[in-house]
Amino acid sequence: MWHTVSKGTAAVEPAVKQYLPPCQEQCPINEDIQRTNVLISLLPEDPDKAAPGILQIGDYLYEKNPLFPVCGYVCGLCELECNYHAKGGAIKRRLLKRFISDTYIPYLEGRDEWSLIKHKENVAIVGGGPAGLMAGYDLSKRGYRVTIFEASDRLGGALWLIPRYRLPERVLVSTLEAMVRMVGMDVKFNTRIGEGKWNLDRLRNEGYKAVFIAQGTPTPRTLTFGRDPVEGQDLSGVMYGHTFLYEVSHGNIRPDYFSGKKILVIGGGNVAFDVARTARRLGGETTVVALEREDKTSRDGIPADVEEIRGAWEEGIRIVYSRGVQRIIGEGERMRQIACPRCVQVYDDKGFHPVFDSADTLLLDGDVLIVTVGQGPDWTPLRSEGLVDDRGRLAVDPLTLQSRNKEWVFVGGDLRKIGFMVEAMHDGLAAAESIERYLQGLDMTEGRKRLFEAQDIPLRRHYLSEPEVVWIPPEKRMHFQLFERGFTLKEAIEEARRCLSCGPCIACKACVSIGLRESLNPVEVLADRCCGCGICVSACFYNAIQLKDVEMGRISVTDPFKCKSCGMCVAACPSGARTLRDDPLEGILNRTYSQLS
Amino acid sequence: MGYEPKLVCFSCKFGWGYLKDPGDLEAGASLSTPVECSGRLDALHLLRAFKEGADGVLILACEEGHCHFQEGNFRTLKMLYLLQDVLSAHGIEKERVRMEFSRDPEGTSIPDRLARMRASLSALGPLNRTFL
Repeated sequence: MWHTVSKGTAAVEPAVKQYLPPCQEQCPINEDIQRTNVLISLLPEDPDKAAPGILQIGDYLYEKNPLFPVCGYVCGLCELECNYHAKGGAIKRRLLKRFISDTYIPYLEGRDEWSLIKHKENVAIVGGGPAGLMAGYDLSKRGYRVTIFEASDRLGGALWLIPRYRLPERVLVSTLEAMVRMVGMDVKFNTRIGEGKWNLDRLRNEGYKAVFIAQGTPTPRTLTFGRDPVEGQDLSGVMYGHTFLYEVSHGNIRPDYFSGKKILVIGGGNVAFDVARTARRLGGETTVVALEREDKTSRDGIPADVEEIRGAWEEGIRIVYSRGVQRIIGEGERMRQIACPRCVQVYDDKGFHPVFDSADTLLLDGDVLIVTVGQGPDWTPLRSEGLVDDRGRLAVDPLTLQSRNKEWVFVGGDLRKIGFMVEAMHDGLAAAESIERYLQGLDMTEGRKRLFEAQDIPLRRHYLSEPEVVWIPPEKRMHFQLFERGFTLKEAIEEARRCLSCGPCIACKACVSIGLRESLNPVEVLADRCCGCGICVSACFYNAIQLKDVEMGRISVTDPFKCKSCGMCVAACPSGARTLRDDPLEGILNRTYSQLS
Repeated sequence: MGYEPKLVCFSCKFGWGYLKDPGDLEAGASLSTPVECSGRLDALHLLRAFKEGADGVLILACEEGHCHFQEGNFRTLKMLYLLQDVLSAHGIEKERVRMEFSRDPEGTSIPDRLARMRASLSALGPLNRTFL
């Protein structure tokens, strides 16, 4: 069994422009996807022998992304940009990571905490969601003493709103618990900053030299029609998706709570589908009413993921497209019906601007209406702490996340810009970097704006098609256990082998780290031998070679960022003009030949 | 009798024996030569093996569609077809160079593969070196 060693740590070179595989370029935290895919592909097929390798891969991922076990269940943003997308299906990176996570979680639960020397300043983190936790983790590793101020009684923030059938509770709890324990962060629960006795001034007086505010978006958006709020939202039976998922995650809702009831869910985003599928599992006859169209390719297309829509449809959830809500019709104190005019346009050239055809109005009956049309920050503490500009918007630098009003305050996560979990995590890391620069008196922006360019798909004759992902059949999944089957070791190796590892080697170095190769030897061209024939151009699978006109004619040149040191051009060159620097092959061959005579 | 053919075995490091220590692999075949990719080999490497005294060359490559460097295995196969014609034009049997496409991280099948190749080389007898 191989053993990874530190000499091969994947390094993103500090160049202004850098090639990455498209998945890593897409990932907001640039996770080392290619490297870990390659390592998975080189695992032994015997599960006992593979276990140490899986833990090594897990340890490597954990170093940079301590939330990776959760990502393995819920993210998969990288798959959207996979070069394989158009050629047989994206590499199932999320399931590969989930595969690592499933072995890693029990190990992580018993893993010894790191002994970190905390010799630097005190930093306060407000909000214990993905952004706050990532900032705290990174700062702790850099030697800062971090305290997280969490308004509720548990960490994780919006991660708790992810239904259990997608993210098992143990994975979430163990990941969060380990994150705090591994780096030794302090957490103060039930402490809301900006309310009561806790405010920024008090944090400052208590010795915190910098603060990162990542309070998320706890306030559900209410239903509006035109510019006015829809009447009847105070009726009994009307609730908000955000609140509903929160209560479900706390175990406050009985498993048959909606049994025999008609549930209407308003919204077309992934959260609305989480709500609908949760309501369905609680026994409700569920209908989703979305403003957007069914055709995802249109400008007015529904934003929810295809998998969510398919899952909901399979589970017997009715989806009504292109309908808004004009009125909620009550009977006494209870809601009974909603009036849904047809929506003929959601967006115009300037943005969100729905237009309705009131002549075509559908009446839908329901016992419960769950409004899931988005959520926003709690503005009260932000205003009272003076973190907004004179137009009422958050005053924050989008690159450094530093507040424009208070230089020791940094703001990020969903609060700044609502997005995916990993985008909040990126904000956490960006804030940690900024806080370090601020406290050490360094330049806040120098070298931070990095341009990444995704590498193209390598050329080959055959591409392999994606494996089928197995979902438990709908009639058997009306519960809160996972409905998607994870990869077995064999399947994980197969899928990881399918990865074209199309990114540059310097950002991967998987083979070097396990001693498969000694180093990545750059290609050298002997100009006096190169005749400019261009055979190497077609020999290169990675489009790394170009012909260049020089004084004496034409020679070939290799882009060192794209070159994989595979030696195909060396083997193909008819005039011996191409070599790999310090190529070990010659020595290996000489040794073999010397044994022949 | 007593003829012991000399066999050089090139194997791709990404498909063959990477879970074994290099030493273990060599114990099984004294002329085992792991390379980064079978596609790194060119015709001169193989010709030189014959010139230096080999009676046969076995190349262990990755399966079709599974080359770490996309299609190095296929490149070598193409080269091999041409080389075999050149060799037979010079009185060297095509069977003396062979490629096998599979994957064996533990390298357990390598001794058997070598034995089979050795047997077929024994049947051919020593290499005709007139034109080398």
